[in-house]
Amino acid sequence: MPDKEYNARSTVVGRLWILYTCEELARMKRALWYSIVFGLVVAATVDGSTCAQGAEGVSEFSDAEKLFALQVKPLLAEKCLPCHGADPNEIEGGLDLRTLADLQVGGDSFEDKVLIAGDGQHSMLYVTTTRAEEGYEMPPKEADQLTAEQQRWIRDWIDAGAPWPSDERIDLIERAYAKGEQVLVSKALSQQWQNRRYESEKLWAYRPLHQTEVPRDHHPIDWFVDRKLAAIGLPPAPPADATTMVRRMVFGLTGLPPSPDQVTSFTAAYQVDPDEAVATLGDQLMASPHYGEHFGWRWLDVVRYADTAGFANDYSRPNAWRYRDYVVRAFNADKPYNDFVREQIAGDEIDESNIENLIATGFLRMGPWEQTGMSVFKETRGQWLDDITDTVGQAFLAHSMLCCKCHDHKFDPVPTRDYYSMMAVFSTTQFAERDASFLEHENINGFDASDKWVDAKIAAYETQKDELAAKMKAQRKEETLDAKVGDNGLDPGDEASLARMSKNITRHDIERDRTRPIALSVYTGSTIHRSNVSGRIRLPKDRWMKGEIETDVIHNGGDVYSQGDPVTPGALSAAESIGQMSEIEFPDTMDSDGKGKRRLALADWIVDQTNPLTSRVIVNRVWSWHFGQGIAGNPNNFGGTGGLPTHPELIDYLALWFMDNGWSIKKLNRLIVTSQVYRRDSRHPDPKALAEKDPLGHLYATFKPRRLTAEELRDAMLTVSGELNPAVGGIPCRPDLNREVAFQPRQIMGGTASVYEPDPTPIQRNRRTLYAERIRGLRDPFLETFNQPGPDKSCELRETSTVAPQALTLINSQEVFDRAIAMADRLIRKDLASDDATIDRAFHLAFGRSPTNREIAACVAHWREATAEESMITYPSPDFPDQVSRTVMAEKTGQPYSFVEIMPAYSNYTPDLGPADVDARTRGLAHVLRVLLNTNEFSYVD
Amino acid sequence: MNDGNGWASVVNRREAFLGLGAGFGSVALTALLHADPTSSSSLHPSAVASPLALAKRCIFLMMEGGPSHIDTFDPKPELAKRHLQEFSRSGEMESAMSSGKRYFVKSPFDFIKAGQSGADISTPWIHLKEMVDEICFFRGAQVESVNHPTACYQLNTGNQFGGDPAVGSWVTYGLGSPNENLPGFVVLPRTSYPQGGAGNWSNGFLPAKFQGTPLRPEGSPILDLSPPAGISRQRQRKNLDLLSELNRQHLESRPGRNDLSARMDSYELAYAMQTEVPGVIDIEGESKNTLDAYGIGDASTDSFGRKCLLARRLVEKGVRFVQAYAGNWDSHDYIEKAHGSLIRSVDKPIAALLRDLKQRDMLKDTLVVWCGEFGRTPDNGLRGGGQSYGRDHNAKAMAMWFAGGGTRAGHTVGATDEIGGQAVECVHHIRDVHVTLLHLLGLDDNKLTFYHAGRHKQLSQFGGDVITELLA
Repeated sequence: MPDKEYNARSTVVGRLWILYTCEELARMKRALWYSIVFGLVVAATVDGSTCAQGAEGVSEFSDAEKLFALQVKPLLAEKCLPCHGADPNEIEGGLDLRTLADLQVGGDSFEDKVLIAGDGQHSMLYVTTTRAEEGYEMPPKEADQLTAEQQRWIRDWIDAGAPWPSDERIDLIERAYAKGEQVLVSKALSQQWQNRRYESEKLWAYRPLHQTEVPRDHHPIDWFVDRKLAAIGLPPAPPADATTMVRRMVFGLTGLPPSPDQVTSFTAAYQVDPDEAVATLGDQLMASPHYGEHFGWRWLDVVRYADTAGFANDYSRPNAWRYRDYVVRAFNADKPYNDFVREQIAGDEIDESNIENLIATGFLRMGPWEQTGMSVFKETRGQWLDDITDTVGQAFLAHSMLCCKCHDHKFDPVPTRDYYSMMAVFSTTQFAERDASFLEHENINGFDASDKWVDAKIAAYETQKDELAAKMKAQRKEETLDAKVGDNGLDPGDEASLARMSKNITRHDIERDRTRPIALSVYTGSTIHRSNVSGRIRLPKDRWMKGEIETDVIHNGGDVYSQGDPVTPGALSAAESIGQMSEIEFPDTMDSDGKGKRRLALADWIVDQTNPLTSRVIVNRVWSWHFGQGIAGNPNNFGGTGGLPTHPELIDYLALWFMDNGWSIKKLNRLIVTSQVYRRDSRHPDPKALAEKDPLGHLYATFKPRRLTAEELRDAMLTVSGELNPAVGGIPCRPDLNREVAFQPRQIMGGTASVYEPDPTPIQRNRRTLYAERIRGLRDPFLETFNQPGPDKSCELRETSTVAPQALTLINSQEVFDRAIAMADRLIRKDLASDDATIDRAFHLAFGRSPTNREIAACVAHWREATAEESMITYPSPDFPDQVSRTVMAEKTGQPYSFVEIMPAYSNYTPDLGPADVDARTRGLAHVLRVLLNTNEFSYVD
Repeated sequence: MNDGNGWASVVNRREAFLGLGAGFGSVALTALLHADPTSSSSLHPSAVASPLALAKRCIFLMMEGGPSHIDTFDPKPELAKRHLQEFSRSGEMESAMSSGKRYFVKSPFDFIKAGQSGADISTPWIHLKEMVDEICFFRGAQVESVNHPTACYQLNTGNQFGGDPAVGSWVTYGLGSPNENLPGFVVLPRTSYPQGGAGNWSNGFLPAKFQGTPLRPEGSPILDLSPPAGISRQRQRKNLDLLSELNRQHLESRPGRNDLSARMDSYELAYAMQTEVPGVIDIEGESKNTLDAYGIGDASTDSFGRKCLLARRLVEKGVRFVQAYAGNWDSHDYIEKAHGSLIRSVDKPIAALLRDLKQRDMLKDTLVVWCGEFGRTPDNGLRGGGQSYGRDHNAKAMAMWFAGGGTRAGHTVGATDEIGGQAVECVHHIRDVHVTLLHLLGLDDNKLTFYHAGRHKQLSQFGGDVITELLA
């Protein structure tokens, strides 16, 4: 049995290992380095027997010795030694597994029954791994449990007498027989890790891109996908019809529903020449500014865009919107992806006189972060460094870097040293809200309204505060005791209110910067200790004078106070070695002044044509945006635990094609949408065969239907109701949101945050959801219910759950009700010839198709009946008071108090069209339309 | 609201769609709230609760803001000696909070030895002191953050930066809910949500159905539970009938699309919820004695009294995990006033809850946890230019207690140093508290895992130890 396992035919690349420290590597000329390393590479195709002849003295090794050296020993090291030997002072249960002698002595519990040489079945070393012994399941973590095969290795090795060859012999056996690949990386924390081997297939993402020749006259995507389908004998589904196609493409490329006109013209063109029609529509859609909005939010999901900083204060990030618009612009202008990457990581280091570059570096500031008087700067600085290292890893390289912060990566060839080398890239990066005049193509509308609201809000607080201060001054008594105990004659609610108002004035004051020419940005310089950050950080005159240049070290165990080996800026060493990357020099090696352009080096490293990861990562993302799943299953994780590519040759082909085509996302989109694979029906003519041969839907025999995202759903409702303001870009808008949530007191540091006030006019509010202010501490319940991810973690792909609160929102919420009224009003004003025609129009708007006769009949009857009911009901005009009274707890006394908050937005608030504004017939129609907005057909794209 | 047509229609519809022959009584409210038939994963496949575990459910009393251990259950007479003496702290780990002139602050409260066990308890706890023999006090817990939202996240989810599943999500994921008519994890927040907001009861990467369901104390208990004004239940029913008619026609040409039929079902469930949920939370049927015992009707105790009573009603009906919020305990200024009134607001309700559970023979298998996100410092900085008897945040020492569910009643475990600055005996990171909590409920943190983003994730993040001293 074991023979079969390790003699199985396999490709073996044994690389003799040379240890380098990072510093040595940095000093060493890369070319020389690689020549040394690869000069020593021993590569052989092995299948046990043939190899045995090749290696010196191997015939002396017994199968059991080989089993031990190749399987059992590494297994013990990985799964058992952490508690049974790695730390001689903390040996769990008295069982030390470092040597055979220790093992024979056994532990506290099973003593000499741990290892009964020749009797694996009864040796507790084996029994515990089968998890049959209650209370002694080993390893204790279920996530670490041994596979059945691994359990057998241990049993078989004991059965064979438990031979434990010397280290020299083990070394010889490894060289001759070891399966899997060793990987050249920078120096690991442990020798054990350094020497470990990886399953070859799990290293796919690091390998140089492999070019496959696609026969002429074949669409490459179709060729790769259909080849695989043909191999399993599963014919693909036929092309989707025109109505389905146009809806799929318009939603897919712009996130909006097709207009009836778009449907009509596409349908006509599709009948003449489907290929041409699809290509033309694709180009038209990508020329629309809504394309950049739609692709922009996908990128913003990855980088976790928000307009506030999160945590205790959740301060506004008043200029974040300029980064959001930069992303939209980049997609609309089809900025080459390599430039897009470089600008976001190192725009300021490339050319800080270029304002677009400064705005782009907002990327580096997207994570939640704050420094309050309560926090320790060294720790919050460390949190940002962790955050940005991990985010850059996930966003551009599909590597979850945090996994190797405390220990060498458990699964992937990423040692902790690489983590801290990449972190060192950012240790001279400093926050600043930099002067950056507005660019010609930025939307600077609405500044006045925004400023006026902020001014009015602050003024209202100032007035209240002055009144309160005067009242308190009159009331205040000298405290008689030896210290303040609250016996000051003041109403504790007043004291709390004073603090609350001061805090909110600070918070709103920050919002004044929203309309000022400032970029949320960074600079390169020394680290200045900041004990409290509650507003703009300005660029220092001399960037290196104040503060200190951080020492770049490994923090042992991830502890920011623990200083380990020094490191210098760098990136993923495995990508360099396996990927055979060209040499990229990083600045600031040990002897330099530390003032180099580290981020620029990393950006260049990332977008280097020989970097095996970058282009694979982005083509996989774009693919997943079209198909709802990546070619590789986890767009943020190309490591061994992420989903392996279903079509490895295709992802490589696309990655190369993408770089050959100027890193153009639009060209890639065009390639995708013009493929037959993209244009397939979502239904298969032979569902049984489909279910049998492609149960997971990974082979693209059909197009995978999807539910609209939260943003698409809201935008689609606003589109069909005719209320959408299609303006592109600009300061965040504030849509109406559930008023119970909007007015719910929200705790922040030192008090209660101001309530959420929507923008006063419908045209301001009813913009695409992308532009809705994203407040980390106050999520829009509608969007959250429909799976909009929280802005704290990078989201690689949206999830879709179906839960009853979604139905409650769609059938009961004021927002959806308003959309239905507006849509009804729009239709009634059309004054179409008949009720049937009105319903027909409604279906075209909502679904892009004509209703069936059955549908018309049902809807018209429903409309009439509802109109009759509605004619009996009168709706009062809604009242929107411009102040709200709320009750919260006073921290100082632990007792509730009430206060009144002024809401300037409501002093001139124009509600959306409501039931009181329209007649019964319109309201009756609105009932039908609300049903249409609730249908599966409205929510899904086939 | 209770129109016969609507009900008949629901039942018929459900029978038609789901083949259920039963009325609403058998319809799962869990499903009502979070039915996610499209989700592949439901309960954790192999986390079968240990039959030896005593606790079957948990009521978690979350004192947000950071209650002071020094003024509740951990007396520090040494502070009386050092009262108002200057105290200097230093080191790079100290925050701005600990810089500047600082002085020790004694507790304004006296302490007594209460019960047979002689537990330390401050005098404002006039009701809870009667119940201390049911309680296991723990003085060894520590967290990592002195900021409210990060510490709350760590206490509630194990991860101080949020985004991970809450304890209640893990527990319901591991154990399910014995009564499917109710959601497994219910949160009773204050009107103002805690710092960090709903992330404190997030399902994180677990399926959406394990999310905590907050029952809002004011307004609509669940958002959008009722239609806008002017829409009658009959009108809504008719609209839903048209909806299902249109959806059915749409589905006809898409056979086998479970996602679509699941979405259709969710509408029927939502419709039924509109009457079911208010019934579940209506406490008016409770006796006057009960209401009085919980302090309901008395302004100072009404709010938390309702939460405690509701918690009992919910667990009695089979809810697995209830988390009730009280606060805000962030008393930087006047411990005597602030903690005094906060203790008053929770003291009677909590004592009533423990007694009520005991009388119903439910305390033995109901784990009650009381804690905040961190403790408070033995000293204070200047407040508004003067000295003030308050305390700052302290991650190194905190107050926490357990009752019922197999915990070691009548004991105090662990200790803090002589000034209450940090835990020094039986010191455990909060992750060990999480592991212990799961253990008491029969769950093994190392087995209760969920594969996400390339790793088997667990509540403790990377594993932890059961604090055996807390076990009966």
